[in-house]
Amino acid sequence: MSHGTLLLVALLLPFIGSLAAGFLPTHARNTAAILAGSVAVAGIGISVWLYTSLADGAPVQFWLSWLPMLGLDFTLRLDGLAWLFALLIFGIGALVVLYARYYMSREDPVPRFFSFLLAFMGSMVGIVLSGNLIQLVFFWELTSLFSFLLIGYWHHTASARDGARMALTVTGTGGLCLLVGVLLIGRIVGSYDIDQVLESRDLIIQSDLYVPALVLILLGAFTKSAQFPFHFWLPHAMTAPTPVSAYLHSATMVKAGIFLLMRLWPVMSGTDAWFYLVVPAGLVTLLLGAFIAIFQQDLKGLLAYSTISHLGLITLLLGLGSPLAAVAAIFHTLNHAIFKASLFMAAGIIDHETGTRDLRKLSGLYRYMPITATLAMVAAAAMAGVPLVNGFISKEMFFAEAVAEHTGSLLDDSLPYWATLAGVFSVTYSLRFILGVFFGPPPVNLPHRPHEPAHWMRFPIELLVLICLLIGIVPSLTVGPLLATAVKGLLDATPPYYSLALWHGFNLPLMMSLIAMAGGVVLYLGLRRYLESGIEGPPILRDFKGQRIFEKVLATLSWQWARAGEATLGTRRLQPQMRIVITLAVVAALAPFIANGAVGTGDMPGTPLPPGFALLWLVGGICALGAAYQAKYHRFAALVLVGGAGLVTCVTFAWLSAPDLAVTQLLVEIVTTVLLLLGLRWLPKRIENVYPSRPPLKVLLRRYIDLTIACALGGLMAFLAYCLMTRPLTQSVSRFFVERAYSEGGGTNIINVILVDFRGFDTMGEIVVLCLAGLTVFALLRRFRPAPESIEQPEQQRIQHAYDVATPDRSPGDTVADYMLIPRLIMHWLFPVIAVMAVYLFMRGHDLPGGGFAAGITLSIAFVVQYMASGTRWVEDHLRVLPLRWMGMGLLTSCATGMGSWWFGYPFLTSHFQYVELPYIGKVPAASALVFDLGVFALVVGATVLILIALAHQSLRSSRAAQASEGGE
Amino acid sequence: MSAAPDLPLWAAILVSFFVVTGALVTLIGSIGLWRLPDFYARLHAPSLGATLGTGAMLVGSIICFSVLQQRPLIHEVLIGLFVTITTPVTLMLLASASLYRDRVEGNDAAPKEDPAPTEP
Repeated sequence: MSHGTLLLVALLLPFIGSLAAGFLPTHARNTAAILAGSVAVAGIGISVWLYTSLADGAPVQFWLSWLPMLGLDFTLRLDGLAWLFALLIFGIGALVVLYARYYMSREDPVPRFFSFLLAFMGSMVGIVLSGNLIQLVFFWELTSLFSFLLIGYWHHTASARDGARMALTVTGTGGLCLLVGVLLIGRIVGSYDIDQVLESRDLIIQSDLYVPALVLILLGAFTKSAQFPFHFWLPHAMTAPTPVSAYLHSATMVKAGIFLLMRLWPVMSGTDAWFYLVVPAGLVTLLLGAFIAIFQQDLKGLLAYSTISHLGLITLLLGLGSPLAAVAAIFHTLNHAIFKASLFMAAGIIDHETGTRDLRKLSGLYRYMPITATLAMVAAAAMAGVPLVNGFISKEMFFAEAVAEHTGSLLDDSLPYWATLAGVFSVTYSLRFILGVFFGPPPVNLPHRPHEPAHWMRFPIELLVLICLLIGIVPSLTVGPLLATAVKGLLDATPPYYSLALWHGFNLPLMMSLIAMAGGVVLYLGLRRYLESGIEGPPILRDFKGQRIFEKVLATLSWQWARAGEATLGTRRLQPQMRIVITLAVVAALAPFIANGAVGTGDMPGTPLPPGFALLWLVGGICALGAAYQAKYHRFAALVLVGGAGLVTCVTFAWLSAPDLAVTQLLVEIVTTVLLLLGLRWLPKRIENVYPSRPPLKVLLRRYIDLTIACALGGLMAFLAYCLMTRPLTQSVSRFFVERAYSEGGGTNIINVILVDFRGFDTMGEIVVLCLAGLTVFALLRRFRPAPESIEQPEQQRIQHAYDVATPDRSPGDTVADYMLIPRLIMHWLFPVIAVMAVYLFMRGHDLPGGGFAAGITLSIAFVVQYMASGTRWVEDHLRVLPLRWMGMGLLTSCATGMGSWWFGYPFLTSHFQYVELPYIGKVPAASALVFDLGVFALVVGATVLILIALAHQSLRSSRAAQASEGGE
Repeated sequence: MSAAPDLPLWAAILVSFFVVTGALVTLIGSIGLWRLPDFYARLHAPSLGATLGTGAMLVGSIICFSVLQQRPLIHEVLIGLFVTITTPVTLMLLASASLYRDRVEGNDAAPKEDPAPTEP
């Protein structure tokens, strides 16, 4: 297998594993853990295998053409930096899986947990391996989604749901900003490919779009990495199971932001904008996180704020813009992942074995769990930056960088003091963690009696702590080569000189370390009394909660503003809505005329008006006017007149040589009329004499305004049409269609060829819309409650019913059966005839007027006729109509035909055409577009019949409801 | 649409005879619809167009296109068939609806009761 393919395997394995884990039985704890563990171990194996190929410095690439027109390809790219992160993701992932196997309770649906965890792992690997920025953003959003699912894993607790939602909202919003930022970068560079972006430093920095792009990308990175002021989501995400916290909120997800900063560091850093945006954010986060961490009463809360603080440190280092600082940032990222994951796991063990994480309750655990305590102490020492542990070395590097000169500004000059202060804080909270939990008097009133955990649960911590010590004692032998690889990936020029030794002699950074440690001890002793009072949260900042602000903003946006918007702009009545829509349409149509000056009519000579045509249009016009006039009080008459106008339109199409349109118009006219007729029954009756004398002025005014609006729109439409039609047709695509319809589409009916071949994708979209419309009508009518006055049976039915009941030899329903006897018979007979007509229209569609749409409407007319003739019950007893299946099959057929062309290596919806020899019939044109058209046909039948059935069932349902209410009285 | 088809004289005369006859008959039907006094009488008038009028025009159409294409073209028979089947149904529905309404409203023009069904 080539190295590139291995990358693909490393990316896909977690997702495949996730899918597999998702299908495991609910309580298959061991199987899921083994599955997840082997995926992670395989990932480690691939990473280690690929290490050798990185030696010469060129990144390993995998390339797959995706959207070449947009310059987007699916690219995987592994350089030193990505390699280090990938190793971290798989390595810590494997340990977390092992830990989670013992941590998760037997009652929890553990396969679901591992499924999410693996998917998250895959998304994370996707981020670090992405070879183009869009792809990176995609995986970035995936991590947000899966972290949402993981944080909310115990979805029965409200705090888990809230924490998950907050994390998703914050990081998702950041992801959106990032996407825009990345698009800007793509615009500047002209490519999203990371290799090309990394080569375009000058182009990016000198661009006008640099600052907006930078701000947006930083927003993405800062929200993900919990930088001030977006840090508040991280502590709330601690409601996740502890393995998740150990994995997501220390080692991986929050490091995605850091990774992004590192990835773009070579091309975006080193400017003033970068320095003044990143350094203050990092510094505030560093100090604030460390300060708040001291005052946490929740063990995981302390670790969470400490994580925020360390992330701030890394961000700060990256903000400085010097290569050495970047090296320190990478190194600290690695160190922090190692010691913080082990600390979280230790906290999880304490929680697991004692039943609480409250620092006020915990104390003196050393005597119950000495090994865990020792391990936690070493890890905490790393967090505090004590010599001989890995945290010390990277902290020394940080101090050295803080002292070094960068921009010479006040911020830069004061950095050493801030850095030392942060060091003091970190020593204090580490002390608090260790002394508070493991030392002091034995605990009282713990939910469980504490004891050492199972050995394999402790194993990940043991391994991580061992690594901490190895890096801390012999850094150049252990982590040196790895760091060198990563640095080479980040700075492809010659890396700066740095030394990973433990001892650099008595210098300023060492002095700062010593001051920090001494200061930390003093601060802890000084704060001891305050902390023991058991008060929650730090002084001053206690009342200032990010969560509350967040919730307030959310409530304002999604509740108050939404309600205000609905109250001012929305209406539940149809007439005002129509008034607004139509007025807006008129204004929008007039706006260009006002802006660019009025446009007169064109100068094409008029066509002669044959008297027959004039007469036809006179009739049509009278019908339309009559319909408008009758629409308010005589809906039935209006409907008949609308039908007349429709027929005139239809004849017009035929007259003007558009038989296809004529056929479609006729069919649609029929179905529309029938459906409207069915709907009429549910409209409220006219209330005669609402205003006994004259309508009040207000009402008159409203009516005249409505009339004006309607006339304005109609007149404007007519005018626009006239202006257009009196101008010669400019260069249009229709010539192309006329020329190519037969030679390339294999059909002489140009319209149909356009629909199913040239513009097949449009048709695809249209049938989806039709499908949605049908489903919407169905869904709306399912919950439809008719007005009280239209619930009872219509007068006619009641009289018939009474007559049938009163006459001795008749049973209810006889009268209507008598009336409909002959029409029903004829209508039954016509069913096959209309169906044959539909088939005929369909078959000839490719060459002559007809086609899938027309055929579908025709067949649905056949159904409509049956419903009208015999009533809903009879039809559904005798005819199995499954409109949803028709629709589904139609959509699937169309999609499958479209995708079929992929099989032959052509783009979606390419059609093939040839003649087929059929027995008895002879040569028949057959195009794959015909199958596509079959899908259109089925969908149209389904959607139309679904609407019909939804309307027809209203009568049944409401008569049942009426009977039920009568029975109840 | 407006150009006259290229027919031989005899055929043109024949076709125009049928078409004009059909149109006239239909016109008479329409005038009847307008002039006749009550609904039941009016009901008969438009069926003139639907039967004789349509039939004459269809014959005209058959002759015209058969001559033009030099082969018998009798698609129009289908039109005639379906019009013949469906028109009565429409008229029956209209008549029975009107009958029903008149009875309910107590209109004198309508028969009071269905004739008793004859026992087989």
